[in-house]
Amino acid sequence: MAFSDLREFVDKLEAEGELVRIKQEVDWNLEAGAICRRCIEVDKAPIPLFEKIKGYPEGYRVMGDPLCRIKRLAIALDRPFDASYGDVYRDLMKTYSERSTHPIKPRTVSTGPCKENIYEGDDVDLFKLPALMIHDGDGGRYIGSLHSTSTKDLDSDWVNWGCYRMMIHNKNHLGGYVAPFQDLTAMLRKYEAINKPMPFATALGTDPVGMLVSITGVPYGVNEVDIAGGLRGEPVELVKCETNDLRVPATAEIVLEGHILPNVRVDEGPFGEYSGYRSSPRAPGIVYKVDCITHRDDPILPTVNEGVPTDTSHLACGVAWAAEVMSALRREGLPVVDMNVIAESALFIAVISTKTPYPNIAHRIACVAWGCKSAQYIPKLMVVNDDIDVYNLGEVIHAFGSKCHPVRGTHPVPYAVGNPLVPYQNYEERLWSKGCRVLYDCTWPVDWPIGVAVPQRSSFKTIYPVGVQEKILANWKRYGFEE
Amino acid sequence: MTKAYDTFVDDLSQLKEGEEIELRIRDLETYDSKKVKAIVASSKEKLPGADILWLRFTRGLLREDPWAIKIIEELGGPID
Repeated sequence: MAFSDLREFVDKLEAEGELVRIKQEVDWNLEAGAICRRCIEVDKAPIPLFEKIKGYPEGYRVMGDPLCRIKRLAIALDRPFDASYGDVYRDLMKTYSERSTHPIKPRTVSTGPCKENIYEGDDVDLFKLPALMIHDGDGGRYIGSLHSTSTKDLDSDWVNWGCYRMMIHNKNHLGGYVAPFQDLTAMLRKYEAINKPMPFATALGTDPVGMLVSITGVPYGVNEVDIAGGLRGEPVELVKCETNDLRVPATAEIVLEGHILPNVRVDEGPFGEYSGYRSSPRAPGIVYKVDCITHRDDPILPTVNEGVPTDTSHLACGVAWAAEVMSALRREGLPVVDMNVIAESALFIAVISTKTPYPNIAHRIACVAWGCKSAQYIPKLMVVNDDIDVYNLGEVIHAFGSKCHPVRGTHPVPYAVGNPLVPYQNYEERLWSKGCRVLYDCTWPVDWPIGVAVPQRSSFKTIYPVGVQEKILANWKRYGFEE
Repeated sequence: MTKAYDTFVDDLSQLKEGEEIELRIRDLETYDSKKVKAIVASSKEKLPGADILWLRFTRGLLREDPWAIKIIEELGGPID
């Protein structure tokens, strides 16, 4: 059953031992951010819910990285989590794929909890919300690191929800970075062409599915809110904004309404990004003018401390991107078996396992995969035989090291749309969003005769007769070993 | 009371000492950002009575020694 709001999700995470309420006062300036980061890096640490932020009223709360473990992602989608990482990942990928192909339109309601407090005009003050200085050296306090920013296409009914980082410039202006190929950019180009402000509404602290669809993205022209309905199995309830015609989830913790100033750019960033580095310098970014803030009583501001994997972006995007790419590959009739967008690689490497009925199938797989919207963010693709468990990084790296020929198996794509946040790119590539890609074909060539040219894998399961394996397993404890 | 600000700059030659220059700074108490006309110097001794100006590279790394800043005027602009 779907969570109606973030608070139900908080309660569920707490009940599952995945969240700890921190009642001791913490400083919004680095302390809370550093705690979030450590929670990401310490194995099995729960996420923090800060209940007392220095300088802010009792009740104002900040929540860290709600989806940064596979278990939390499974809870968000109401799926089982008592299984291996690979089994849960595969189930979530399948769930995401199936549910997102059955979108459910939202329902508009007259009001909702997000209207409990309303501030307009001179009363708008972003500093009254406990936005964190997340990393030392960030360009500002990032109030938006896990949210849904709604914008409407100028020529159609398409309403995009996206999560584009938002930094506070001053009490009523935010700065943001958007990549040239992202949906918000496509919409903004149309408004800027006629010098028209583009209305926006940012919902902070929605139910977990709202957050998920906003960070993962859906195909161009598709309304994320419909996909959110599909993933929830019931419509999202929306309420109209106070100062524009956009609609936001009625149970959102905080809503920022306003407009993006056309053709205005002001220095934004830097920001510790999902790449695990603060790789992009301070640079001109878009400017959001905030006309109205509404929020629930005792609001919860969600935040993601992006950085070295694995944080919310790495897991949530990985599952959703794999779902999109695998659906596309299967539509093309490709005999793919499994896919893992490796969270530990900060989403820069994906591995796909496949049967190999004909030569060079890895190329066809790569062409279809890179044709998908989400795969624009994945510059390195490994294609492996179907005997490799793509979630077992030991097996994957062994296949890469032993089966990918440094010349014949490595296929660079020197010119591609790039992602300016990729750390290894040079200044010019970042500036113009130029990129490149590489396919690593880690499959045995189909024209190598079995038994003659294909080397035999030397593992317990592959190089001993079944009878020998069974005998050893049956006698394992008698030999003196434990399980 | 002396206030502390910072600004992002890679090339220090952009900060012409002793001249009126325009730059965007952040108030380190709140991280409010504003564009100002100011005089800067590489040490507080060169600009008595000035506020502190910390410098960061544009990727965020803090430089060791702070400069000094005297704000002459807060400038208007699209977001000021």
